[in-house]
Amino acid sequence: MTKAQTQFLLLIVGAAVLLLLPVMSGNYTLRLATIMMMYATLAMAWNFIGGFTGYPSFGIAAFFGLGAYAGAVVQARGVPVVLAWAFAIVIGSLFAYALGLILLRLRGHAFAIATLVIAEVLRELTNGMTDLTGGGMGLNLPFFGWGPDALGRFFFYAMFALAAITLATTYIVAHSRLGFGLNCIKQNEDAADIVGINTTRYKIIAFTLSGGFAAAAGGLYASWTGYIEPSDVYDILFSIKPILMVLLGGMGTIFGPALGAVVFLVLDEIVWRNFLQLHTGILGLLIVILILFLPAGVLSFDWRALLKKKVSAT
Amino acid sequence: MFDIKAAGAAVASAILIACSMGQAAHAADKVYRIGAPLPLTGGLSPEGLRMKSGYDLWAEKQNAAGGIKAGNDSYKVEIIYSDYQSNTPRAVQSAELMITENKVDALFAPFGSGATKAVSAVSEKYGVPMIAAQAASAQVYDQGFKYLFGMYTPNDTVVKPLVDLVLKSDPSIKRVAVLSRNDLFPLAIAEEFLKYAKAKGFEIVSDQKYPIGTVDFSSALTQIRASKPDWIYTTGYTNDNILIRKQMQEQGVKTRLIAMLIGPTTPEFIANTGKLAENVVTASWWDVAAKFKGDDVFGSAEGFEKAFRAQNDNRYPDYSVASAAACGVVLALAVNKAGTVEKPKVRDQIAALDAHTFYGHIKFGPTGQIESLKPPTMQIQNGQPTVVDPVEIKQADIRFEPK
Repeated sequence: MTKAQTQFLLLIVGAAVLLLLPVMSGNYTLRLATIMMMYATLAMAWNFIGGFTGYPSFGIAAFFGLGAYAGAVVQARGVPVVLAWAFAIVIGSLFAYALGLILLRLRGHAFAIATLVIAEVLRELTNGMTDLTGGGMGLNLPFFGWGPDALGRFFFYAMFALAAITLATTYIVAHSRLGFGLNCIKQNEDAADIVGINTTRYKIIAFTLSGGFAAAAGGLYASWTGYIEPSDVYDILFSIKPILMVLLGGMGTIFGPALGAVVFLVLDEIVWRNFLQLHTGILGLLIVILILFLPAGVLSFDWRALLKKKVSAT
Repeated sequence: MFDIKAAGAAVASAILIACSMGQAAHAADKVYRIGAPLPLTGGLSPEGLRMKSGYDLWAEKQNAAGGIKAGNDSYKVEIIYSDYQSNTPRAVQSAELMITENKVDALFAPFGSGATKAVSAVSEKYGVPMIAAQAASAQVYDQGFKYLFGMYTPNDTVVKPLVDLVLKSDPSIKRVAVLSRNDLFPLAIAEEFLKYAKAKGFEIVSDQKYPIGTVDFSSALTQIRASKPDWIYTTGYTNDNILIRKQMQEQGVKTRLIAMLIGPTTPEFIANTGKLAENVVTASWWDVAAKFKGDDVFGSAEGFEKAFRAQNDNRYPDYSVASAAACGVVLALAVNKAGTVEKPKVRDQIAALDAHTFYGHIKFGPTGQIESLKPPTMQIQNGQPTVVDPVEIKQADIRFEPK
């Protein structure tokens, strides 16, 4: 079996296990799985611009928060949930597109810092528009009167669908001219320009994909939680965690971001449950160790070599 | 390269194993277990730490008094904390974990109306009584839930008495300027105030918000000065209000009455503003100055203050720590009356509770939100917080600056 085939087999098994979760496990596990898929989506969204294109974007929190508020504001005014999500995606993509036109002229550190402040700016704007967003008081969303079990399952499947679509898009991008072009930009943007790749257009597409998927996750998150406030959804950690997850899983790969999200959240859960005060520090230490020893991500770990060595040693 | 990777994996797994060993086995029977998800890190961490100090103080006092009596048994109180990182979904996740794995007998709700509302869906489903120390919005309690109780009356009950009092005491006060912190609770209070003051015929001559972390209020104050208000109403936390009060003086802002929520009754405010504290009015759900008496482990508001100061570097207990400690008092009283720790019976006793405590008179309304509490309005007079409303506990009349 080739490596690609193995990965696909694992993917199918993984998806099957996930889809069976609602039947087999309690609500707590279901909730964890939903969070995991949300972060997997965010990590994959970042991967378009950060992993494939090599642009250090810190903009995920901005798109996530914008999506959450776009969806929540219309949903609170009576728009059906699915339409609200669609609206979040449209707003997120348009915003990313417009922003890309301006910001993608920058490179390296300048680009990183420019994307970093976007979330801050949006947070202040959201805070200021009290009439629309509730400002610092946050925004309460109507629960649609279902029991917690049904609600948990609904959002589990919705998040699963979103993660699956994001994964499929990642696969398509990676195997298309776009993915090839993005990879060229990552290696040497000037050279890519010279050989005839429309670098501006490609970068903007990657950025828009990143914004659109992050906004979709934000929209789902808002309806799932039922309550959002600016400091919650524009949290800088929404920018940083996806990057860490991609680093953990494998940058610019197809399955790396999703895998990284799972590894990250499993570690997070174990550490968080056991340490009341120091959990953030311990988690940070674990991640530093992992990235130090596996700089190309968990995907690069050669499990077979480990097995072989064990076998030959005995 | 391979060996380095293996070493890394070994170190990581060693840490993980160490982590899982940290999960200690819980003590045997006769323990009353309460789950409390708190925002110990992140934006709300100061609030989280305040709540924790209230819970801890109560648990310590209750255990020192022999624990909670239920029939012939005595239960030792054990509070299980988790850090939900100021993140609402994590609070819900914490609560579910505490109920399903730690098997808690009751919950103390997280901070704020939003998170409390989100968590209440979980506690209700499992039938675990949950008491909210820090959720005032009526929208949290109107969901028809049976297991949710709140220690705060709605925000408007903090705002309205002062408006009515001013209206009654000096009808010449007409022009009002509002300066509010753009943050969950201070903004909610300001909105409530604007709504009610307008309805009562006051003229809003200035309405401004300042972002969290502001230290220079000069532009807002210049505008307020120009609007010539009779009454300035500011919302924020103690440090904000200290700065605002001082800068009012620097900017030469003159007015008949200054109301500031929250903070003026704290020694920090009085010490830092000195003479400027005089005649500043404030209101909150609870204050030591209200001198409540009761038959709980603290005995009285002053008793609570003394115990709290002894345990917390002589810090002044504000309404939020009192409310947290009062959650414990409510549970203890209810378990006591029920004579058992069975959740539905404890829930019924909380619902039927009618008790006098250090926190004031506690009786919950049909939605589970406390309704007996009359938030006191206080004014700093001669350097002391003095209750000016409600009449039952009033210590002096409200004063205004001369025209």
